[in-house]
Amino acid sequence: MKRINSLALGLCLLTCVLTAPSLVARSFDDIIESQYITVAVYRDFAPFSYQVDNAAYGIDIDLAHQIAKELGVDLRLRWMTADENVEDDLRNNLWKGHFLKRSVADLMLRVPYDKAYSLMRDDIGELVHEQVHMFAPYHTESWQIIYNATQIESVSTIAVFQYHDIGVEVDSIPQFYLTSAFGGRMRERAKHFSSIPLAIDAMSKGEVDAAMGLRSQISHYQQEIDTKKYLLAQNAFPMMGRQQWDIGMAIKSQYRQLGYAIGDIVETMIKQGEMEKIFIKYHTIYQTPELYLPTKTHP
Amino acid sequence: MIKTCKNNKLSLSLCITLALCGTASANVTNKDIANDQMTTDDVVSYGMGLQGQRYSPLTKINTSTVKEMRPAWAFSLGGEKQRGQESQPMIKDGVMYITGSYSRVYAIDARTGEELWQYDARLPDGIMPCCDVINRGVALYDDLVIFGTLDAKLVALNKDTGKVVWKKKVEDYKAGYSITAAPIVVKGKIITGVSGGEFGIVGKVRAYDAKNGQIVWERPTVEGHMGYIWKNGKKVDNGISGGKPGQTWPGDLWKSGGAAPWLGGTYDADVDLLFFGTGNPAPWNSHLRPGDNYFSASRLAIDPDTGKIVWHFQTTPHDGWDYDGVNELIPFDYKEKGKTIKAAATADRNGFFYVLNRENGDFIRGFPFSDKISWASGLDENGRPIFVDDNRPGNPMDSADGKQGKTVVAAPSFLGGKNWMPMAYSQDTELFYVPSNEWEMDIWNEPTAYKKGAAYLGAGFTIKAINDDYIGVLKAIDPKTGKEVWRYKNYSPLWGGVLTTAGNLVFMGNPEGYLLAFNAKTGELKYKFNTGSGIVGSPVTWDMDGEQYLSVLSGWGGAVPLWGGDVAKRIKHLNQGGSVWTFKLPKS
Repeated sequence: MKRINSLALGLCLLTCVLTAPSLVARSFDDIIESQYITVAVYRDFAPFSYQVDNAAYGIDIDLAHQIAKELGVDLRLRWMTADENVEDDLRNNLWKGHFLKRSVADLMLRVPYDKAYSLMRDDIGELVHEQVHMFAPYHTESWQIIYNATQIESVSTIAVFQYHDIGVEVDSIPQFYLTSAFGGRMRERAKHFSSIPLAIDAMSKGEVDAAMGLRSQISHYQQEIDTKKYLLAQNAFPMMGRQQWDIGMAIKSQYRQLGYAIGDIVETMIKQGEMEKIFIKYHTIYQTPELYLPTKTHP
Repeated sequence: MIKTCKNNKLSLSLCITLALCGTASANVTNKDIANDQMTTDDVVSYGMGLQGQRYSPLTKINTSTVKEMRPAWAFSLGGEKQRGQESQPMIKDGVMYITGSYSRVYAIDARTGEELWQYDARLPDGIMPCCDVINRGVALYDDLVIFGTLDAKLVALNKDTGKVVWKKKVEDYKAGYSITAAPIVVKGKIITGVSGGEFGIVGKVRAYDAKNGQIVWERPTVEGHMGYIWKNGKKVDNGISGGKPGQTWPGDLWKSGGAAPWLGGTYDADVDLLFFGTGNPAPWNSHLRPGDNYFSASRLAIDPDTGKIVWHFQTTPHDGWDYDGVNELIPFDYKEKGKTIKAAATADRNGFFYVLNRENGDFIRGFPFSDKISWASGLDENGRPIFVDDNRPGNPMDSADGKQGKTVVAAPSFLGGKNWMPMAYSQDTELFYVPSNEWEMDIWNEPTAYKKGAAYLGAGFTIKAINDDYIGVLKAIDPKTGKEVWRYKNYSPLWGGVLTTAGNLVFMGNPEGYLLAFNAKTGELKYKFNTGSGIVGSPVTWDMDGEQYLSVLSGWGGAVPLWGGDVAKRIKHLNQGGSVWTFKLPKS
């Protein structure tokens, strides 16, 4: 991925971060005493976490810096190569370590905050995520279509993609959705790319008329191309199950004290608008997780 | 990190000994490789002959003497890196060459078990091989020892020093590629496939000049991709696999079609063809890709000189169960009504055993070798499966309401009626010895899945044993009739290769750690010896100083321990390890 966000570059602090993960995840006291915290982030995943000339950028990087700062410790980053699913990533980076690299981080970002997921049981009835505690949702994620307004008048419904080519990432919900929903009527129009930036590139070259992906990614990349020509669609996604979900973080389950400390930092950031500022800095749509919204009525 | 000649004194004395004997360690030639099956003093190809029959004409160790067989030496691979040892040893001029887990290579004195050199590939940070860190062995050619690494490189080492002679990047490991199979050398070319996860890769078979690593040709295994041949250093178009894109795939899914040829291949000089199997199509959800999805889950016959596909045979069209078609296709001849039939056989993941005409890929016959097959009711006259539609895992989009989809119980499990572990063919009994597993799987749609923090529709699965008292079954199968002549049941799943000899014996290791020998005709157990850790490697045998030797790697691992559920309970007490065990008869 060679797209460099010059604006974000200018705005970003040039931070040189050590990458030296410890062998085991550690308690709050150990972290404070050692004066550093190791945070796991995905590699090559703009606008959340990515590197340009060995400097780290992104929403998750800024958030990790803020957490380290509030704890009064240094930040060390652990760059994760994504495995097939988050369950593997949690195992490889937080509680067991990957078998090629037997070390773990103290905190992992970009972990779903979903009760059904954290309480999921495996085929023999054991809790799948027994080893980790998932907490502190920091934004709500969703799906988003971006389209070329000179090619498509408007995306009032998903039906236009029976007639217009749309780029999707391989092995993602948008791919599943566009190739199998409605009896596969949009299947021939779904064009596959190995990442969202490549799909956006193809759209700006006129190879596809639209692209669908994570709302954060799509809105982030929109400002790098012509924001008048390429618009964010307002359509619904009928037949799609999970249309939005919360993103939080995870620690090893026995270190709850660390979780409470970080949870407080995150809540303050959200309530004082710091979190939204980070998202705005990366031109990314921010949505506050329901947990922090004023409670409407309790049943 | 290279440790060369840890023991200089030893290698020097070895050289002198060999020089005095007048058999100064010679380089491996094309002829040596072509004749490997019939020459008993060396093992210079994966499969003990390029056909991969794993048959030795040696008879000193036989049904009456095998009970006397005992260890001559054992060699530890060392380190903490002990995961699965799936390597097949190679033997040349009294030196054994093996690979270990984590892309390591060892040269060992085959008489004493002393290490001559060790090479540890430096693996990059962030590498993510999908299915354990195993390696299945080296290829020998000229003065080179060549193997594939977990970061998808081919590395050629000098056979005497272990120093790197050439190194070639086959694919980018960052895109999800890896190499675990043993490459093969055919007519001076080293030929390899690649493995890869579900990251939208495209499988390719490639040939390189074995002496210097220059690429010769490249053949994609997915319909629609251009193949290339290099002429005078120039890359030239060499025909699109399958003619043109989009015939058996919807939309542009052929661009990321999978079909990785991750288990390597065999070669038959008679018809001058390479035989490579291909993995499952991507994406895993079959409802996204109506069509046969060429050439996934297939056997491909490839011209070794040009890389052109001569014929193909697809075992599981439109795969929805993850039945990779990579299992080895073993050429063999048999007589029928006085006529010699040039056949080739394979025992597929999908539970069926296929006998094909190896000249043109025509289906001769096929029959189940797994006891339970739920996804197809049989094969039609062309060998195409007759699908049981209800047994196809459901469309994940149907669970869009966020509830778990319906569960389908399918047999065999996706680890297959037979997995990677190679079977053997005896020219004496004319039987195939197939290391198989009787297991099934529950598959359901899993709407609460996430990938890189993004919501996702995963599939949940559990592998279950079908019988309480065994999963693994070694089966002696008559390829002419489909009849099972005998079987040996094993409590845990079999995961190691088979060897058969003219001594009327069949050898195999099991995860419980035993090296086992059976009467090839009757299946009577004639020998067992515990090697201390589970065996998932392939045994070999050879002749040295007038004695017959037999070697196998011990070291539990591979894909089985990575999957949970019912099967994990059977194997979780098995300890890891990493050693070579070498056996012979006592001198009389």
